Amino acid sequence: MTTGPSFALRCALLGLALAAAGIPPAQAQGGLELAQLMQELRAVKAARGRFVERKYLAILSTPLESSGTLVYTAPGRLEKHMLSPRKESLILDGDTLLVERRDGQRRFALQEHPVVWAFAESIRSTLAGDLDTLNRFYQVTLEGDAGRWRLRLKPTEPRMRNIAAEIVLSGSGAWVGAIEIEEAGGDRSVMTITRDAA
Amino acid sequence: MSLAARWALAAWVAGVAACAAVVARTEVRTDMSAFLPRSPSAAEQVLVEQLREGVVSRLILVGVEGDGPGRLAEISKRLAAALRASDRFASVNNGEDGGFEKDRDFLWRNRYLLSPAVAAGRFTAQGLRETLEEGLRELASPAGVLVQRTLPADPGGEFLHLLEQLTPQARPRLHAGVWFSRDGRRALLVAQTRAAGADVDAQERALAEIRAAFGQASAGSEARLTATGPGVFSVTARERIRSDAWRLGFIATVVISAMLLALYRSVRVLGLGVLPVASGALAGVAAVSLAFGSVHGITLAFGVTLIGEGADYAIYLFTQNAPGAQPQSTFERLWPTLRLGVLTSVLGFSAMLFSNFAGLAQLGLFSVVGLVVAALVTRWVLPALLPRGFVVAAVAPFAPKVMALVHAAPRLRYPLFVLIALALAVLLLHPRALWSGSLATLSPVSPAEQALDRELRQELGAPDVRYLAVVQARDEQAVLEAAERVAAALRESIARGWLQGFDSPVLYLPSQATQRERQAALPAADALRPALLTALKGLPYRADAFEPFVRDVSAARSMPLITHASLQGTSLELRLDALLVRRASGWAAMLPLRGVTDLEAIAASVGRIDQGRAMLLDLKLQSEQLYRGYLREAVAYAALGAIAIVVLLLASLRSPRRVLDVLAPLAAAVLATCALLVLAGAELSIFHLVGLLLVVAVGSNYSLFFDPALSGYDRSRTIVSLVFAAVSTLVGFGVLAFSKLAVLSGIGSTVALGAALALAFSAILSRPVEKEAAHARAA
Repeated sequence: MTTGPSFALRCALLGLALAAAGIPPAQAQGGLELAQLMQELRAVKAARGRFVERKYLAILSTPLESSGTLVYTAPGRLEKHMLSPRKESLILDGDTLLVERRDGQRRFALQEHPVVWAFAESIRSTLAGDLDTLNRFYQVTLEGDAGRWRLRLKPTEPRMRNIAAEIVLSGSGAWVGAIEIEEAGGDRSVMTITRDAA
Repeated sequence: MSLAARWALAAWVAGVAACAAVVARTEVRTDMSAFLPRSPSAAEQVLVEQLREGVVSRLILVGVEGDGPGRLAEISKRLAAALRASDRFASVNNGEDGGFEKDRDFLWRNRYLLSPAVAAGRFTAQGLRETLEEGLRELASPAGVLVQRTLPADPGGEFLHLLEQLTPQARPRLHAGVWFSRDGRRALLVAQTRAAGADVDAQERALAEIRAAFGQASAGSEARLTATGPGVFSVTARERIRSDAWRLGFIATVVISAMLLALYRSVRVLGLGVLPVASGALAGVAAVSLAFGSVHGITLAFGVTLIGEGADYAIYLFTQNAPGAQPQSTFERLWPTLRLGVLTSVLGFSAMLFSNFAGLAQLGLFSVVGLVVAALVTRWVLPALLPRGFVVAAVAPFAPKVMALVHAAPRLRYPLFVLIALALAVLLLHPRALWSGSLATLSPVSPAEQALDRELRQELGAPDVRYLAVVQARDEQAVLEAAERVAAALRESIARGWLQGFDSPVLYLPSQATQRERQAALPAADALRPALLTALKGLPYRADAFEPFVRDVSAARSMPLITHASLQGTSLELRLDALLVRRASGWAAMLPLRGVTDLEAIAASVGRIDQGRAMLLDLKLQSEQLYRGYLREAVAYAALGAIAIVVLLLASLRSPRRVLDVLAPLAAAVLATCALLVLAGAELSIFHLVGLLLVVAVGSNYSLFFDPALSGYDRSRTIVSLVFAAVSTLVGFGVLAFSKLAVLSGIGSTVALGAALALAFSAILSRPVEKEAAHARAA
């Protein structure tokens, strides 16, 4: 995280303090409020991490592992560079998705691929703290506290529900540490993200 | 009325009735066939067929704009639903899922018959191992979700490859479930009519239906409709030519009628003046219809222009009728000169009869018959119908002024020589402006509309076919097999970087032979299972993961082959019908090319297939060539006609000097008119050429009547009649020159300018009459 979470937190606290001057917070019992998490996430302008993804598929006897780097630039750009087992990149920018593979690159307009779009927004809108967009695709619930939270996204759109039953993002503070996708057919994938030392 | 006159009248009435009967059953064609040589090459035939009825000619591209995106999407959906319910449209596409599920289903079920990757090596343990390893890498990739579901039944990804192959390169973006332009301001829709693009009436009805459906779909909204496409273009062009021709024709008719009425002071005589041309046109159409089976619209339009000379005959007759003279005797006096004028024109046009182009031959026949009939009607019918003692009183006050000008005119002789020299210089300096006009410059479609068409086409990714590989054979299977060979050559061309891609009917419907070959390459279940087990060794797949694959492969071995009927109801059927067409003799397959960089190389490689029965067409170039060929031949036959005219005049005037006197003003007028048009920035087209032919036709009468020996005893009356005729030509065609349409303004400006110059030059180059000269000396 190039902009420290402490800074983000300070901003969030300042905002809260200003709001609290008039009205007492609705959820005072130590739990984390969704709006608050979103605000913290929104404060992060750039982030970089390494990911390891494990796919547990019905047709496989052992999980499939891939790894690489993730780069996020607020508010709309997210790059996923897979380095192993082979090089491949997904670059999400605005409303297009660019896929770069050995055999060339292809650009997709998100609007034309609602399922891809929903997937993309589950991660990007969370990183951007964009609750409005998340609400368009998912029913959003939050569990845990600021030190260890779980954001559960249940797709609302039928076509998306056919593919993914639930997407769970978990983390601590303004850092998203893991993304789990529970697919409709029982397949599952888990991606863990660690801060990039570089 | 004399007995001869009665007979003439009766013959005329019978002739008109007979011609009307023929004309009533005549088919008027409006396609490119007029520009087609009588024995067209295979390429030319395909070209004209494509332009007439090819699928590209049937597309109507529709844009809806001027409201919020949400409203536009709703309107697009309602419009599409209304049009889908109509039987005028073969398909209506606006991005809504519609037939796409069926397409996917067809591709999925038939993937092992359709995929070019299906070959024996693919199903051995070795081949399967490679496939499965690749599948693993696909699963791990971020796009893994896409293959995860299909992998157990389709580990080789045949389905996804097929989908990819069929997806157009550029697709419009979707918003609220329908297609939108890139800037999001215009909802897009493509409709394909059932009727051919050349069927302008049907296209007009289809367009009217779209407009009506839009009116209902957009009720209460500010949204506007824009529509474009070849059919829309021909409808607008026809409307525009019609309305311009009507409007300008009306203005010209009113002005000329007012002028002639002021001269004649008789409505009856005014009406009589129309008879020669009207009878001539009727006879011309009937003759062409009998000789060719149909009449082309271009023949009709050009032909009526060419026999415009006939309108002058009546003016000459009426105006030259001297006080106290019988119309019959006036005409007997006039007839030798007029006969020579008619013969001159007829001979000039008749060269076209021998043209290799049906359109030109029709035009030749039309004008020859039309002029002869117009002259005969003037000679035999009009005098009998003219009121007794009819005289154009206005001649007397005009005559002195006109004659004063005529006497003064020869002083301009030398300036005229300079002018002609200048005109020649202009033409020599602008050789490219002569007869090089392209088809595009003739289009009545405005540049703004052409730009809109390009824009919509780009946004929709609609085919704008220019390069086409075409192969023909006697039956469907033979043509599909030939198309497979062409496709193989084109794939090689892609690999060499000569083109980016192509569409082909065999993507949707491979030949039966190829399908059987693919079936033969598929192993039976008891051969596939052991190979699969060997391939799976050491890979992290479950042993039974690919049972669906084994099941589908063994089913595909004996499934019924794909036929045209298998595609019914899919949007692929449409694409297939566009590319695979049944023709009068056999079948043709068309493979449109994209991103061509080396046409010659591709043409060479395609040309080697099937002893040259496959060919590569550049539709744009081909149509330009067709038009140029037509124009070139028209110019050549006009020149031939000119030579015939010289021979005729030599034979009848028997004096080279007099022939020169008659022809010099005409040649000068033609040269000066061309030079002025070129200076005004025009590229001389077929319309200008037709205009020049008319200039020579009417001009030859002017210069003949100026010949002292031919002008008759009442020279001033004769010359005043020429002025009246020239003014009416100038007004009639001058009005057309103001049209924005190339067709009308080209003919209009040429004839108006040419006729005026021909009269002026005839006066300037005329020799003083001996008698008058003697008078002048005496005075």
